[in-house]
Order: sequence, then structure tokens, then C-alpha cells
Amino acid sequence: MLLQIDFKSGKPVYLQLVDQIRYAAASGGLNPGEPLPSIRPLAEELRLNRNTVAKAYSELENQGIIETIPGKGCFLKANHSPFTKQVKDKLLAAEIDEAVVMAHHLQVDREKFLGLVKERLDYFERKTQGNE
Amino acid sequence: MENDTPVIEIKDLSRRYGKTDAVNGLSLTVQPGKCYGFFGRNGAGKTTTIKCLLNLLRPTTGSVRVFGLDPGKDEVAIKSRLSYVPDMVAFYPWMSVRDTLEYLASFREHWNRDVEDDLLNRFQLDPDQKTSALSKGMRTQLALIGAICPEPELLVLDEPTSGLDPIVRREFIETVIGAYQSGDPERRTVFVSTHLISEFEGLIDEFTIIEQGRELLAMDADLARERFKKIRARFSQEMKLNLPGALQVKQNGRDVEVLANGNSAKLLAELKALQPEELKYESLSLEEIFVAANLVRKA
Repeated sequence: MLLQIDFKSGKPVYLQLVDQIRYAAASGGLNPGEPLPSIRPLAEELRLNRNTVAKAYSELENQGIIETIPGKGCFLKANHSPFTKQVKDKLLAAEIDEAVVMAHHLQVDREKFLGLVKERLDYFERKTQGNE
Repeated sequence: MENDTPVIEIKDLSRRYGKTDAVNGLSLTVQPGKCYGFFGRNGAGKTTTIKCLLNLLRPTTGSVRVFGLDPGKDEVAIKSRLSYVPDMVAFYPWMSVRDTLEYLASFREHWNRDVEDDLLNRFQLDPDQKTSALSKGMRTQLALIGAICPEPELLVLDEPTSGLDPIVRREFIETVIGAYQSGDPERRTVFVSTHLISEFEGLIDEFTIIEQGRELLAMDADLARERFKKIRARFSQEMKLNLPGALQVKQNGRDVEVLANGNSAKLLAELKALQPEELKYESLSLEEIFVAANLVRKA
């Protein structure tokens, strides 16, 4: 898993870390049970405030994606969704809505959009399998 | 209770040299555990402000508090809890690196030998070398070791990386993050004055930009990057643009670059209505915000 920060994206730095780790977890860049980099070396490497990295990790912990084992570090959880089906649907719908709005503005029609969704799902599946 | 006291509290500070106001009505507050950037051009009043924090200068008017204490009255109590790295570091030339660190340690109640060994190793400083034989980069490294080993609550850095090569600068910042900040992050505060802003970008939580002794802009770093945006558009032909809300409009033929200060949504919509061939936007980095803030003042 390689992390990269873009100060020009306008997204708060800790959220960039959260998103990239979530992405890695979904695409097999990080496997369940695998350790995340420790806060200090990661902060040094990215030259980020240590508190920013700690904030990202505690956010990921709140979201139930990683867990901290005292004295050992942070690890990706195996089944990392603590949410009920309704909450899952609602969270996902909000993200999909953004993509739908974007598709509308880019004049991508329904068929093309659905095709792209399938293609992306396949892509993530292949990546995860390739990593196992 | 201790944690609620700001580490630095400057209220309406002015410092005059003869007829010149070096600092003129400056206020700022630094909370514990934060990394606070203090940006300004040469001669903006950064060093004067820092000298007031350390009781090297007395304020003409206004008040300065460090850990809630007055530097003029409790100088020793304050200085025992902070370290200071000036832009020009000087050591006794006849002392070796080890002598110098021993000498610095003799003033401190607490000194972390492990950190000292660690950093000497990392910087590859020879403890037996005389300080007169050190390069500028090595001197700054030695000063940094001397500042970090007492494990102070506040680290004051005044233009610490100016004049250093890129590798030494990078190591310096990594050391501040690693060796200093990770000890007790809730209580390790950094106050750094610099104009090499991009290097410290990832470290800065909040900042104040000072110009001619006054605050030009004081903000949270993430919020600032959200507020200041650069929009680029390309049209099919040269346009006559009227964008009164823009901080700056640069036009080069069909290409337009617009700086937005908090109103990027409105400006984006206005540009979009003109049907550009291409429309892109990005946040400004802190360094670009520093430049843009000087435009705000002129406007």
C-alpha cells in the first residue's frame, strides 16, 4: 500500500489518508489482518504532522475498518463493516448519488453508467483475487 | 486544567524600534499539541515577535503569555519548558560536539540520552569534532539535538531551514515530526516561523501570516486550502471577462486563471455559463495562499 498526499485536492489531509486506506482495503492493497504502517514512520515519510496521521487512524477505527491492538499496532479488520443493512444502503446510496449526478453532467447515459459500474466491480474483484 | 491554558497567547502586541513599528497590534493564540506556522516576508516582524516570547525584547505595548506566564516575570520558568532554534546558530568554537551537548544539558532538569545518541547517529555527527569545524547544516543539526533532548513542551523554530541543503532540510523536518512530536503528542507544541512554507505544509495545523507587523490572515490549514482555489478555464475564443468577485484574473489568449477566495462555487458557475472548452480547479497550497493573502491586502 502506497499512500500519497495532494495538498491541492482541497480535501482535508486526514480524510485523504482515510480514503486511500479504505481504497487499499477494498482493492486488496491491504489484506485483513495485515498491519498498517506505524504512525511515526508514516508521518515522517509523508512529512505530515503526527497528529494528522493519528486522526486518520482513529477515524478508520471509528468506522470499524481497522483495530488497534495495544503494543502491537493497527490492523485491518477481517469483516470490517459494523453497519446494519439499512445503514449500509443509505451510506452507499449517498456515494452513488454523487456518481449519478456526475454522470448526468458528463452526459453519460443509463446503459453506459451501469456498464461502467460492472466494469469497476470486476476490476476490484480481479485485484483482490490477484492479491490472495 | 493545565491543558486548557494556551501555550502561547499574544494580545495586541506592538514593538517599536525608534520610529519604526516592527510589530503593530498582533494577536494570536497557540493551543497545546498544535503545530503553528508563523509566515511572513523578510522584515514582517516574525523574529521580533519571537524575541518578545523569549524575553529577549520587551513589548512596547500589549501582552505576551507563554504557558500562561509573563516572560518578563517568569523567564526561567518559561524557558525551562521550551527550546528555541534561531536562524543563525552559534556555539563556543573550542568545544566539541559532545562538550556542547553536555554544556546544554547542564542547564536542563531533564535530558534524554537515548534521543541524543539516536540523533547523533542519524545525522552522522562526530561527537569529538570541534564545533568550529562544523558546516552550517551540521550546526543546525546540533542545535536541533540540543533543542529536542530536553523534551520540552514547546519548540520555537525561527527560520530553521533557511540556507540549508534539501537533504538536511528534509531530515530536519522528519526529526521534528519523529523524535520530537511522537513523545507526548498532546503536549508537544511547535511554533515555527518560516518563509519556506511548502516544506512545512504537512506539519502545519494553523497559521498566521504577518505583514508589516500586522496579521494578514490567520486560519486553520485545511480550511484555508478549502477557501482558496485556483480555477483554470479555456474558451474557444478570447473572452471579455467580468468577474468582480475574483481575487485575481489572469488571461492569456483563450486561457484564463482565476483565484477565488471563498467564492469558488459562484465563480465556477459564472465561468461554466460561458461554456468553456475546459474547466479545472484546484486548491492553493499554503505557499500560494501566502502569496494570495498579499493580494487580498492590496484589494
